[in-house]
Amino acid sequence: MSLFLRCLLGYAAAVLTATLLGSIVQTQFNLAALTEMGLRIPLGTRLATTGHDLLGFTPLYSVIVAVAFAASLPVAEALRRRWRPGAHLFPALGAGLGLWVALWVANSLAPMPTLIAATRGNVGSLAMVLSAALGGVAYAWVTRALSTRRISPCDA
Amino acid sequence: MRRLIVAAITLMAGLAEVSAATTYHIATVAEGLDHPWSLAFLPNDDMLVTERAGRLRLIRAGEGLQAAPVEGAPEVYAEGQAGLFEVLLAPDHEESGVLFLSYACGEAKANTTCLDRARFDGERLMDRETLFRALPDTYGASHYGGRMLLLPDDTLLLGLGDGFDYREHAQNPANHLGSVVRLTTDGDVPEDNPFLGVERAQPELFSVGHRNVQGLAYDAERREILLHEHGPRGGDELNRIQAGGNYGWPMVTHGVDYTGARISPYTDLGLFESPLLHWTPSIAPSGMTLYDASLFPEWQGDLFVATLAARHVVRLNRVDGRIVAQEPLFAELGERIRDIRTSPDGALYLLTDSDEGRVLRVMPTEQR
Repeated sequence: MSLFLRCLLGYAAAVLTATLLGSIVQTQFNLAALTEMGLRIPLGTRLATTGHDLLGFTPLYSVIVAVAFAASLPVAEALRRRWRPGAHLFPALGAGLGLWVALWVANSLAPMPTLIAATRGNVGSLAMVLSAALGGVAYAWVTRALSTRRISPCDA
Repeated sequence: MRRLIVAAITLMAGLAEVSAATTYHIATVAEGLDHPWSLAFLPNDDMLVTERAGRLRLIRAGEGLQAAPVEGAPEVYAEGQAGLFEVLLAPDHEESGVLFLSYACGEAKANTTCLDRARFDGERLMDRETLFRALPDTYGASHYGGRMLLLPDDTLLLGLGDGFDYREHAQNPANHLGSVVRLTTDGDVPEDNPFLGVERAQPELFSVGHRNVQGLAYDAERREILLHEHGPRGGDELNRIQAGGNYGWPMVTHGVDYTGARISPYTDLGLFESPLLHWTPSIAPSGMTLYDASLFPEWQGDLFVATLAARHVVRLNRVDGRIVAQEPLFAELGERIRDIRTSPDGALYLLTDSDEGRVLRVMPTEQR
């Protein structure tokens, strides 16, 4: 498999993973805000709301994630090639940092103070960044699985 | 087709348009206003109009818009949705010259909605003082409310917003976010305010659980307070306001967040006051008048709701106070409409929302 295709598939896996996890995470934060006000949310309603957001939230969020990762994963990949010790951490760090920057840019451009409600607080923001980092882990896993080389699988 | 052509020609001439039931013409009263927000009719037929950027402008009868803004207006925080909002005349304005101004006060990192009282002598504002400042200050430039309404007992309602990022606080009576507050014209708390004496509640509160109040009207015949507010994506609401009522935001809503995410899984829990109607998808209502004049007899008793996103006015046809139909009006303008008023002579006045905003007068065709 060509270098380009391996990286492209890794990128697609990262975007998909981060988008789905991010959607699930932000739903739980939104529902937690309601339960803190005394509202009871049965499991079925929670699952239905999570499912709704997987359809309703992901179209916009996947664009944010895709743009963020298009900028951050190539940098992470370059660093992975340059610094072999701890190289497997760079995609996760790059993905998490990429989303954090993307959220900051989105909030700067959007008319409202915070575009994604779950990121209004530090804990929610950290959870979303961690879900993005797992997208980076997916990138590392896919590119590694498709490569015959152990480290830096996107390095020809 | 012929009717469309006639409508297009007359609109280009700045005069007329035809609705299915009512013929009217639209004339420009003033133009070149920077996002005009509200309008007040003075006893001498002059008008005051607010510009969101922070200017109060005078339109003199027979002369038109005066070039210089009225002096003495408050310093406002003008950014995004923030700025100078409503101008409202006091019940005794004709004798006292007193009026009220609502506006965003503070700075980017800490701002809120303020309410000032001042005296207008026909030229400038004097003796201005701040009667109310909503608690707490918030970050950003969204959701201030700002609409006011005088009640028959000479108390004043001020609709507020939730500050956008602080939506859960609309359910917290310890602050003013997402509420309607009621004050005397001196800024005091009326003795019969519903939250007065409730532990940890702000005494000014009249109702809670609102997202961003953008229209208030009073139906004197039925003694009803009517309010509309912006939902997020969908879920704009028209509500009948009860003292002490909780309107449910954000626990219940017919809308979803701008990102597409659910804000609440519930549209009705039986715990909160339900809207008379909701608009989904959103029309972004802004300003409202209950038409009780005689120039348009077929419109008497109807509610007129200006809209930003939908770019028309919604006529809510009412029978015995019950809404039986909706009719879009003035869509031929193709403009965001920030406010709608009934003038003392029974004409409808519209404010278009742009940096070249206009004041428009709607009259029956036969009276133009």
